[in-house]
Amino acid sequence: MSIRFPSLEFFKALQQRAKDDADAFEKLGVCDTTFGVRVGSDLYRIAFEIYECTEVDEASDPASLDFVLTAPVALWKEMFESVIANGGADAAHTINSLTHVGDVMKVEYEDPEGHDRLYRFMATIQRFLDEAQHLDVELN
Amino acid sequence: MAYIGPKDFSQDTNLIAEVMRVMSGDLNLEWMKDHPHPMAARPKQPKRGLTLDDINDDPHYGPSALPEIIRRHFSMTPRGGILPEGLPSLGYRVNRKSDLWADSAAALFEESKSRRWAPARNVPWDALDEAPLSPEQDRAIRQLCTGLTSIGLVSTDVPSRWVWLMNQDFHEIKYWMCAQMFDATRLAEAFRKRALYGQGALGCDSRELGELLKIVMESETYPLASAALNLTLFSFVQSLGRRFEFLSSNAADTYLGTRLAQDASRFTAYGVDHIRQFVSAQPAQLEVVNEHLDLVDNGLVGYLGSRELIEPLIVLSGGVEPVAAFYRKAAEEYFERCAAAGLGARETRSPLQGFLKMLES
Repeated sequence: MSIRFPSLEFFKALQQRAKDDADAFEKLGVCDTTFGVRVGSDLYRIAFEIYECTEVDEASDPASLDFVLTAPVALWKEMFESVIANGGADAAHTINSLTHVGDVMKVEYEDPEGHDRLYRFMATIQRFLDEAQHLDVELN
Repeated sequence: MAYIGPKDFSQDTNLIAEVMRVMSGDLNLEWMKDHPHPMAARPKQPKRGLTLDDINDDPHYGPSALPEIIRRHFSMTPRGGILPEGLPSLGYRVNRKSDLWADSAAALFEESKSRRWAPARNVPWDALDEAPLSPEQDRAIRQLCTGLTSIGLVSTDVPSRWVWLMNQDFHEIKYWMCAQMFDATRLAEAFRKRALYGQGALGCDSRELGELLKIVMESETYPLASAALNLTLFSFVQSLGRRFEFLSSNAADTYLGTRLAQDASRFTAYGVDHIRQFVSAQPAQLEVVNEHLDLVDNGLVGYLGSRELIEPLIVLSGGVEPVAAFYRKAAEEYFERCAAAGLGARETRSPLQGFLKMLES
């Protein structure tokens, strides 16, 4: 049965995929950050500790997060379409590429040290989102 | 000149007599009896393993009881070890905790090892064959890699100029600086390999980059060197890594840009934490750091404006405007880190501002 995007269920499924793929995440190294993904008006909280995604939930307070990746629903869908089509985001749809210019996907943060955790752990965060390639996702 | 010890041990009759007693079975085991500070070090989180923070929980061994100035010894004794009489001084000159300390350094050291990568095998080099660039883009990428190789090499030199002068009681910082040297070495290795892969060639060195790196390297004190390297230079290196990834059209360059940004971010994390603790403990040094960074920023203006950097960025970005926007964003994030480090609003005094306005006009 396909999983609807956006939904908490979708991000929980990514968390489960990351657990199933534990060796790959361990190879990338420790990752300690709690960040947000804002899809349209919905905010999700995603926590990583050591090698694991330890928490996925809906959130309301972005101030408690290191940073929040914010984009309209259509852009997230486009990104996950690329992930699914290419077995991982293509060069134009990585989180870094989408956030680099600043007006495509926004990175919201209050503390620059929290913001820098995005780049310290970028490879892990990208791998987490790339797990969508293994899901049956309903994007439309 | 080599150091010559105060004794000729090979002719020391007392030492030889002691050895003979031990060899005949007369062991006094004094070293075994004297353990005044036992501690039970265990991993708090088994998946993380036994970390430096785990073995620092006891104030006798951990850094919490370190005085601001180390006066009790300048020897090789590891922190918490027993100090016998007559230990030689190893001549440490950096003995003030706030000159180098950052609470995050132990965790950054562990993170550096955990997130290691090996350019020889982890970079998907074959991907460069599958997505050939235009000759101009190809030369531009290799030119950027030439500069990044120089930055990596000098960034191994900067910590090495100071680490041997630091007291052993600050071993977390010494470990961290050795990790920095290895991280910087890997960046030099990776981008040299990228420049030479396939029909490759190194590009042209930049006099302005050389001046910037010399300003960083010849900083007069360790706090100034740390601010210059970790806060200023590596803020920009992190941005360059993100730019490199953004401009990439293949998996190899995506990988390299992501790892450059990743590794550089640990330098900036230490830089912010260190300088914040430094100016908090020694407020009179705040203006000294800012004046030094005025000089470093001036060197950075030279590098950002050098043809060896700005022209390949323009070729790869498709014009001047995207490069100006990239520089603007990199500078704003650098100023944010400076503010977080307690240096105030550096955007009001840095020569970067005038340079950016000129580019944008």
